[in-house]
Amino acid sequence: MASNESSRPAGPCPALPGRRRVLGGAAALGTALAAWQAAPREARAQSAQPDGQVTNAPHNAHTRDRVPFLGEHQAGVVTPRPSAGMIASFYVLAEDRTALERMFRTLTERIAFLTQGGPVPELDPRLPPADSGIVGPVVPPDGLTITVSVGASLFDDRYGLAQARPARLQRMQAHPNDALDASLCHGDLSIQFCANTPDTNIHALRDIIKTLPDLLVLHWKQEGSVPPIPEVPGAPPESARNFLGFRDGSANPDGRDAAAMDRIVWVGADDTDEPRWAHGGTYQAVRIIRNFVERWDRTPLQEQEAIIGRKKASGAPLDRGSSEHDVPDYAGDPEGKRTPLDAHIRLANPRTPASDANLILRRPFNYSNGVTKSGQLDMGLLFICYQADLERGFIAVQRRLDGEPLEEYIKPVGGGFFFTLPGVRDAQDWLGRGLMAATSRA
Amino acid sequence: MQMSLRRLSRVTLLAGSLALCAAAQAAVSPLELVGPVAEYKLYVSENIRTLVADTRAFTDAVKAGDIDKAKTLFPSARMSYERIEPVAELFSDLDSAIDSRADDHEKAEKDPGFGGFHRLEYALWEERSTDAVKPVADKLMADVLELQQRLAGLTFPPEKVVGGAAVLMEEVAATKISGEEDRYSHTDLWDFQANFEGAYKIVELLRPLVQREDAAFLEKTDANFKTVFDTLAKYREGEQGFQTYDKLSDRDRKLLAARVNTLAEDLSKLRGMLGLD
Repeated sequence: MASNESSRPAGPCPALPGRRRVLGGAAALGTALAAWQAAPREARAQSAQPDGQVTNAPHNAHTRDRVPFLGEHQAGVVTPRPSAGMIASFYVLAEDRTALERMFRTLTERIAFLTQGGPVPELDPRLPPADSGIVGPVVPPDGLTITVSVGASLFDDRYGLAQARPARLQRMQAHPNDALDASLCHGDLSIQFCANTPDTNIHALRDIIKTLPDLLVLHWKQEGSVPPIPEVPGAPPESARNFLGFRDGSANPDGRDAAAMDRIVWVGADDTDEPRWAHGGTYQAVRIIRNFVERWDRTPLQEQEAIIGRKKASGAPLDRGSSEHDVPDYAGDPEGKRTPLDAHIRLANPRTPASDANLILRRPFNYSNGVTKSGQLDMGLLFICYQADLERGFIAVQRRLDGEPLEEYIKPVGGGFFFTLPGVRDAQDWLGRGLMAATSRA
Repeated sequence: MQMSLRRLSRVTLLAGSLALCAAAQAAVSPLELVGPVAEYKLYVSENIRTLVADTRAFTDAVKAGDIDKAKTLFPSARMSYERIEPVAELFSDLDSAIDSRADDHEKAEKDPGFGGFHRLEYALWEERSTDAVKPVADKLMADVLELQQRLAGLTFPPEKVVGGAAVLMEEVAATKISGEEDRYSHTDLWDFQANFEGAYKIVELLRPLVQREDAAFLEKTDANFKTVFDTLAKYREGEQGFQTYDKLSDRDRKLLAARVNTLAEDLSKLRGMLGLD
């Protein structure tokens, strides 16, 4: 089987120009095959499952993963991204500040329970059950994080929050290539759900909708996933691939580097124009970016790679190396002979001392929604990123990307900007407490 | 720290669930429901009488080709049906014939199976002609009379009556709040008003029992109904009528959605609270 696999891509090669590129592709394929061969025994044994019934639940070794809820920052930002994600945007219908506080307190309670897991209360069977039951009578934590962020519209005249608005929080503006659909944009509140399985996210969303029907009305939601890869002991970590088939996240800052996160992601004391309550929070930019995948799949590989600026198979930069972790040398390629000047990764991160200020922490998911009216696949990227300064971060990066060749293949249709609240520090604390205290007139 | 917070949230949940269990287990004897159910039956028969009279006037206007008059009569004729929808729906063949929408049918508006109120609404507002729908008008009248006859012979199941309040809210929440019910005439607010009246009537009839079981529930439910009726009252036009759905502000639509969701959530506990299976 392995030899068939390796001979297939080689077949049409002689007919194509640029033999060196072809050989490069074959070498990368060889590496991928080696990885495939190194790890496969367990995986194959698992997938065989000779005794299993067709409808037996598939196994997931990580249902007991638990991400701590309490902390200076909310979980779900620097937490390693699991394979299922969702953003839900809500209108807040609280009629006054008292009701708004009840919303924040109840959200905190529900998130504490849902992310840590535990048994669901049993009620009289003549009543509707307390829980949807879709993950069973004992809720498994399943690596769930729930991250609450507030939109600029929450700071309008309803709740008297305007004076404490985060300095950079603003309503998302359309960029030239955007075709924003109002029913997929903005919101008073965004809730990001991330877990090992999509069902855990859906369970949590339904719990929150059921618990707060008078205070939250769902505006839009988008689910997404990232493909898991087999664990190969000793192998370097790999970034997941997006629906364009490229690795996405190779040059992301390291979420484990606390100093870097303080600089790039978290609002803190050095952000002198930010209100005190916002310290420990971060700005969340969400973009629903449709990919025209049929057209992309009909684009020559070398053109795809030139548009992105990386080798598709390995993720390596175009000018050097064999791994996605190799760093491109743009200084040595000022005319863009190896990495075009308008390649996506070069525009997004030119790797100059000045562009260091524009670093963002990306945490995207791939989405697949169905079929468009034209009969094309409606899929793309649920782009999510976090940064300490929205203008220096996402907005600056996107301005550099405006007009990039990749635009021919992508169309942002929704999303919004939000401020992710600081974390819940202890059992007395609740999400939004600082914001409410900072604006209390008492 | 983590543990104490988890314990805290679990205690909160348990406290809530105990309160609910206590309510559900308190004894409401089936006999106590006999009066409210009998009164509800009277309410239904009054409404069906009105429905028969209103439908006759409406279908007569359609058959006479008096489009303006038929358009005036359409929204009010539907109200009696919308008030008693939970029991009218017990006869699914009639409900489909009287009140189905175009998208319940494979070929939508062009589907020969599409009849009833909404087919006539389509003729009046979109086709602006009643030439093709005179048989539809006759069929609607016959179906409404059939409904009256079947309801007269029906023993009202208490759980359907008590559960009907929640059913009406689920209807509004799932398919009406979007304005898709009366999509040609945009007279949705009339339907909303009637659905809320029908649900509130059930709460009214059960008021003494609910008061005894859970006074706080009643207080909250009354407040939510009041918000809904006050919000709709802002869109009153004429004696009994309403402005068209597109006049409903975005803010009020969301407010209504939140109250309807809350009412649906709370009223879903009514059957259990009154000890009904």
